[in-house]
Amino acid sequence: MAPKKLITIPPAVTPANFADAMQQAIALELATIPTYLSTYYSINRAQDQDALYKKLLGQLAAQSGNSETADTLAQELKVDILVYANQSAALIMSVAIEEMLHLALSSNVKQAIVQQAPELLAISKILNFPTQLDGHEPEFPINTAKLTLNQLSTFLQIESPAPFVDPADKGALDQQVVPYKTIGAFYNDIIACVQANYPGPYTPVRPQLLPPQKSAPPIPRPYYSQNSINTVYYDRNHNPQFASTDDGQELIGVVDAASAVAAMQEIQHQGEGNIQPDQTRLIFDPVTKLPVPMPVVDGVVHFRPGDYDENGELSHFAKFMEIYSLGGYYQQKFAAIPGLDDFFSYFVTNMGPNPTQAIYDASGNKPLSLCSQLGNAIFTYILLMIETCYYQDEDTQFAVFMYGIHKSMIWLLSGIGNSIGGDYTYTNGGQTYAASLTFEYFPFEKQTARPKAQILSLVDQLAVADPNNWSWLTQAKYANYWPSLPDVGLDHSVVPNVPQIP
Amino acid sequence: MADTPTTPKELHLCMGLNTCKANGYSGTNDCAGMGDCATINHPCHTLNECKGQGGCGLFGTTEEFCFPSQNECRYQGSCGSPILSARFVTQGPNKGRSVWQLARKRFEELRAGTNQPIGAPPGGPFGPSNTYVNEVRKTTGQDYSSCGQSGSRHCSYLADPAARALAADARVLVMEIESAEEMKETLSTCPPRVY
Repeated sequence: MAPKKLITIPPAVTPANFADAMQQAIALELATIPTYLSTYYSINRAQDQDALYKKLLGQLAAQSGNSETADTLAQELKVDILVYANQSAALIMSVAIEEMLHLALSSNVKQAIVQQAPELLAISKILNFPTQLDGHEPEFPINTAKLTLNQLSTFLQIESPAPFVDPADKGALDQQVVPYKTIGAFYNDIIACVQANYPGPYTPVRPQLLPPQKSAPPIPRPYYSQNSINTVYYDRNHNPQFASTDDGQELIGVVDAASAVAAMQEIQHQGEGNIQPDQTRLIFDPVTKLPVPMPVVDGVVHFRPGDYDENGELSHFAKFMEIYSLGGYYQQKFAAIPGLDDFFSYFVTNMGPNPTQAIYDASGNKPLSLCSQLGNAIFTYILLMIETCYYQDEDTQFAVFMYGIHKSMIWLLSGIGNSIGGDYTYTNGGQTYAASLTFEYFPFEKQTARPKAQILSLVDQLAVADPNNWSWLTQAKYANYWPSLPDVGLDHSVVPNVPQIP
Repeated sequence: MADTPTTPKELHLCMGLNTCKANGYSGTNDCAGMGDCATINHPCHTLNECKGQGGCGLFGTTEEFCFPSQNECRYQGSCGSPILSARFVTQGPNKGRSVWQLARKRFEELRAGTNQPIGAPPGGPFGPSNTYVNEVRKTTGQDYSSCGQSGSRHCSYLADPAARALAADARVLVMEIESAEEMKETLSTCPPRVY
């Protein structure tokens, strides 16, 4: 399937196209989330270590015949797999969480300066995978796909702080000059436009997602948290490691040019990182067509001083470069040992690239179709709830955010994303794959019922269609999952007294 | 997961966090703070039924994590119950430190504020282990470690299961001791309660 261009990054950001540019910035941040989450859900983070060891030992013993050597090596390889799987997942999740922060920061800027709320559902309607970010030179496809070195290569291209040369572009290689625009450069254009044209203060003040603040209007309660147990992984000694080392990044309320610029710079800083001296760059190997990895010695990536910020935090690019480099290191290590499978096959679900609801529907597998629909419905509902926060007061925002968005991300979307691949398979192009979320827009507007009622109808249908896997959805003791969602309408209304308190 | 006991009791989320006599899981405790286990179960963030049932530590915000078991409302809890001794804070300046010890400290502060006595928690000063909870609830091999996809804190990668368990015990014990030693700093880094 040919990639569909999601956005067109304008050659220059001006007051004439500023509203469009901000909507494009929001689309850019939104587009990364399904990509990163799809890869995250493909990773088995915490598998049975004894079963894994037994499998490795069997493969090694069949080749060497030396049981003592095989035993020691199987133990080492087991830890290689377990630690890398958990680390790669934690780092990808940490980036996905920060992309949601960036989505809110861009939305705050649009709301404040343009006086328009973010239009997330409108983006979702045209966001289909593979997609690409028009304006990048060279352009590159962005897929929803399982964890591979190729997928990590895409992540690196998205987050690269500096221009790079794509070896797929033969003309570019010949000339060694490629006109290229990074995402960071796009934000620089926005910043320049804000500084030149929008000094502020911006009035009237419309709802934004804000950090806690004591000054009027008081915002007592925080929404954003970059770390959770899902951004934690364990090192080889099983000590916990935290993917995000700094807690200083937060939502920023946009009231004038200074705060708008601060919001844009926070996105740049966390995302691609700032261009600094002695920093790892994205360089493609002309033979493999893959990025040149960082040096890995004894399983440890050696960063350059410029890969860290002043707080010792790695940017998204550096985090992805770490797991890309380690992944390549372990893939080569496993490939050199007779009898072993591909390194990634031990912990990555065999998801197909860019699955669609249409493929699932055509399969005739009703439970799969319903499960995917429910995944799309909750993904779309998350976007609706975020949009709604830009129309509502702080109390309602808090209820929607904490009872709706947090719950949906941690439990509902995750619950389906983690389960669908284990429950269902499908065939496409003669290949059989594990199913995965498609992250497509769910057309709530086609029915008269409110979106939450449509979601609960899907829940009921799925529980009936596949009781072995999903009957728990409708059991009373699990009412705090799906039925407790806030009731948000397509008109951004929120039913009062949500959640209902008995 | 084992159901909560049938005799109505105060709903609280862990060993040593009960406010009344005979309101621990088994109902045999003599005093506040001496209950042997939680009288509720829920796995995680936003899934609690009532005020005061957020176990904290794994999903939520820095502010929530500083006040485990003190959420004001249904669904506001930031993590599950019971709180095993191995559970650690994942966000904010207290990352890596014990959640149960902070929950107990907050409980002690509340009791001290109203001059009400409390007793020692029956499972020791660092919180309940998974083995302890299984013993109290008369379950076998049940995992009470709550939510998250990164695997259990109480584990190791050693090949021999017995050695693995010992290594996990030792590693968690280090965290428990360090958390106790650092409690003053933990309290000082917590922002004031704003809601």
